[in-house]
Amino acid sequence: MAGREAVKRAVQQVRPILSVDREEARKRALNLYKAWYRQIPYVVMEYDIPMSVEQCRSKLRDEFVKHRQVTDIRVIDMLVIKGQMELKETVEIWKQKGHIMRYWKESQDPKPTDFLSKFIQGVN
Amino acid sequence: MIRAPLVKALGALGSPTHQIASRAVRTSAVLAQTPAKAPEKIEVFVDDIPVMVLPGTTVLQAAAEVGVEIPRFCYHERLAVAGNCRMCLVEVEKSPKPVAACAMPVMKGWRIKTNSDLTRKAREGVMEFLLMNHPLDCPICDQGGECDLQDQAMAFGSDRSRFTDINYTGKRAVEDKDIGPLVKTVMTRCIHCTRCVRFASEIAGVDDLGTTGRGNDMQIGTYVEKLFLTELSGNVIDLCPVGALTNKPYSFVARPWEIRKVESIDVLDAVGSNIIVSTRTNEVLRILPRENEDVNEEWLADKSRFACDGLKRQRLVAPMVRMPNGELQAVEWEGALIAVAKALKNAKGQIAGIAGQLADVEAMVALKDLVNRLDGNQLVTEQDFIKGSGIDVRSSYLLNSTIAGLEQADAVLLVGTNPRYEAPLVNTRLRKAYVHNELQIASIGPKIDLSYQHDNLGADPNLVKDICNGSHAFSKVLEGAKKPAIIIGVDVLERPDGAAIHATIAEYCQKLKKPDWNPFNVLHNSASQVGAFDVGYQPGVQAVLQSQPKVLFLLNADAGKVSRDQLPKDCFVVYIGSHGDNGASIADAVLPGAAYTEKQAIYVNTEGRPQQTLPGVSPPGMAREDWKILRALSEVVGKPLTYDNLDGLRARLESVAPHLTRLGELQPASGSDSVAKPSISISSSPIDVKQKELRDYFMTDAISRASPTMAKCISAVNKQQRLDEAQQCAAI
Repeated sequence: MAGREAVKRAVQQVRPILSVDREEARKRALNLYKAWYRQIPYVVMEYDIPMSVEQCRSKLRDEFVKHRQVTDIRVIDMLVIKGQMELKETVEIWKQKGHIMRYWKESQDPKPTDFLSKFIQGVN
Repeated sequence: MIRAPLVKALGALGSPTHQIASRAVRTSAVLAQTPAKAPEKIEVFVDDIPVMVLPGTTVLQAAAEVGVEIPRFCYHERLAVAGNCRMCLVEVEKSPKPVAACAMPVMKGWRIKTNSDLTRKAREGVMEFLLMNHPLDCPICDQGGECDLQDQAMAFGSDRSRFTDINYTGKRAVEDKDIGPLVKTVMTRCIHCTRCVRFASEIAGVDDLGTTGRGNDMQIGTYVEKLFLTELSGNVIDLCPVGALTNKPYSFVARPWEIRKVESIDVLDAVGSNIIVSTRTNEVLRILPRENEDVNEEWLADKSRFACDGLKRQRLVAPMVRMPNGELQAVEWEGALIAVAKALKNAKGQIAGIAGQLADVEAMVALKDLVNRLDGNQLVTEQDFIKGSGIDVRSSYLLNSTIAGLEQADAVLLVGTNPRYEAPLVNTRLRKAYVHNELQIASIGPKIDLSYQHDNLGADPNLVKDICNGSHAFSKVLEGAKKPAIIIGVDVLERPDGAAIHATIAEYCQKLKKPDWNPFNVLHNSASQVGAFDVGYQPGVQAVLQSQPKVLFLLNADAGKVSRDQLPKDCFVVYIGSHGDNGASIADAVLPGAAYTEKQAIYVNTEGRPQQTLPGVSPPGMAREDWKILRALSEVVGKPLTYDNLDGLRARLESVAPHLTRLGELQPASGSDSVAKPSISISSSPIDVKQKELRDYFMTDAISRASPTMAKCISAVNKQQRLDEAQQCAAI
């Protein structure tokens, strides 16, 4: 009996990705935010995008706010890692102008899902 | 590589439906029918593989049985053996000379060598002789890439020719013949296999083609300048092993390796021939027959083959709504659907639908569901049939003897039908039975040329009564026959006394019935008809006209049976279909649908066999598949149909009529023994058929009416007739 309990506890214990507690995860997220925030003027200059620094900063804020409801530390870590990868690609100019502008492309029409709109667009 | 697949040759041996290749074999087959002892099989060896075959089997067939394919040009399993190309020469042990495998029956213990030095040398020799006079114009030849001569020259020919033109006379050159708007001839390429000649005289029953001259001067042609005009002329293109006879509308259009082939079904008559649709860049280029022993063997009627250019003309590419000034105006789908939905809401259940000749089963079920949901119930087919309880029993509107079964018939009565033009491939079966099975045929109706001999009993409908009560001479023939059949044309059943004729014949057929043979046959001429009856449509447009509908759906209904002045003034006519024809011209809203090469749809042929078409190309412009239009419309009206994909619709089909989704299978229709006696009696107005001559055959539906090739055919027939008349006048 006792053995099974121990196994159960061991299984429930998840291995952390980077952070061991919430506070550490928060610090990592803030650090990423700051790094992006400082990089934005250079991004605007180097990529020659038709966006001002302020617009970029508000977009940066939006991107972080999009995930504000995330509480799982592992998920936060993973998002931070992805954010760092994005930043690295941006800094090293591995991206091109279009990749940066894609952050503002949310307004693209979603594909139709119901029969009638598919019919009218001729996609079914 | 030899084109003719091996299974064909095997089928020739295995299936009883075409055991006959020549007169000689035929007599033995007839003898075999007598209950004498079954002939003993004899053993032969093909490349040292032993095989047991029936006596009378040819060397070529015996080789096919062990899977060895012998090259051939003139041999074709559905035609008589000619044995003139010599390509099939093989060595037989202890025989001094190689033998022609296609014509030589095997003897006991023969050892056939299909790959010995002697055989190979014989083939190389034949090939060398053939190529001596065959032009080297493969790069500009339409057969290039699907040419038997090309393929066999690669496989069996020598690597070089010893022929040098020392006298500089050039190769044999032959004048091209003009044999009509469908078949292009380049007679220099001809290798004199005479397949076309044999096809014309044996299968088509038109002895127009023949050979003149001998040896190097031999020519295939019509001797006097004449057009080769039959309803089956396109098949000589498939039969020709070289590029001497090619498809005229398709000439210089595409190469076989560029095209995509889609296996589909033909819908221009009620036979449901299996076809291959060749497409490239979203365009139908040509249509070829696909082999199906039960339906079309390997032939295809000319309308089915050549009317495909009608799929590009007269197409409806955008929804249209009639404006207050009376003009049809192209609109967006939203606008058209809303306009129709508004009319449907105002109709308050006074809604009717007419399904035309090319309507598929899916669209008809969708239309029926939509109309029923809106409290309407008038759903009819454009082609009329008998009134009353005529379609309650499935066997009363089918070709019960089946198309393949008809070739076993030994006495056939045709009532008011011309199968030669209404269903050319049913007629080839009848002709086959006539040639090989001593079939006796009589017809009631006008005098017509059926391509085989038959007794025309006259056009008086009371002859039906005479025959059916046994007082006519032909009754004896029918009653004495092992497998009698009576085929009724649908035009007869459109008459006011059609029900009486139908009932009289049905009652007589109860008497003629055999345990595994139903002699009662109806020969339809529209592809949608049987499917429509199966899903519960009623025949004839009169009921709809009487009910004075507020909204009328025309689903591919283009025969012109409904005109604007028969309908109430405020009737809103909605046309759903592919071509701008009679239906679209009277419509208030035109919703463009897909043609049969553009949709996956089920059609049921005249014997009750459901088969499906597959899309080869996409519908043009804003056209959509027919059932989707109805599904979308139902949603705009606010009574959405329950299915929104093809699987859902097929499931619905299965619940309506389970046999419809068993594709390719024939469900035997159980007949009822009681025949309802109609109140009317047979009148005395003579029986007529609509398609009497070849010129009536070419344009019978929206697609063939839009086809320029079909128009050329009609003018060619007219030209030929004028020439014939002029010659007759000159002779007098």
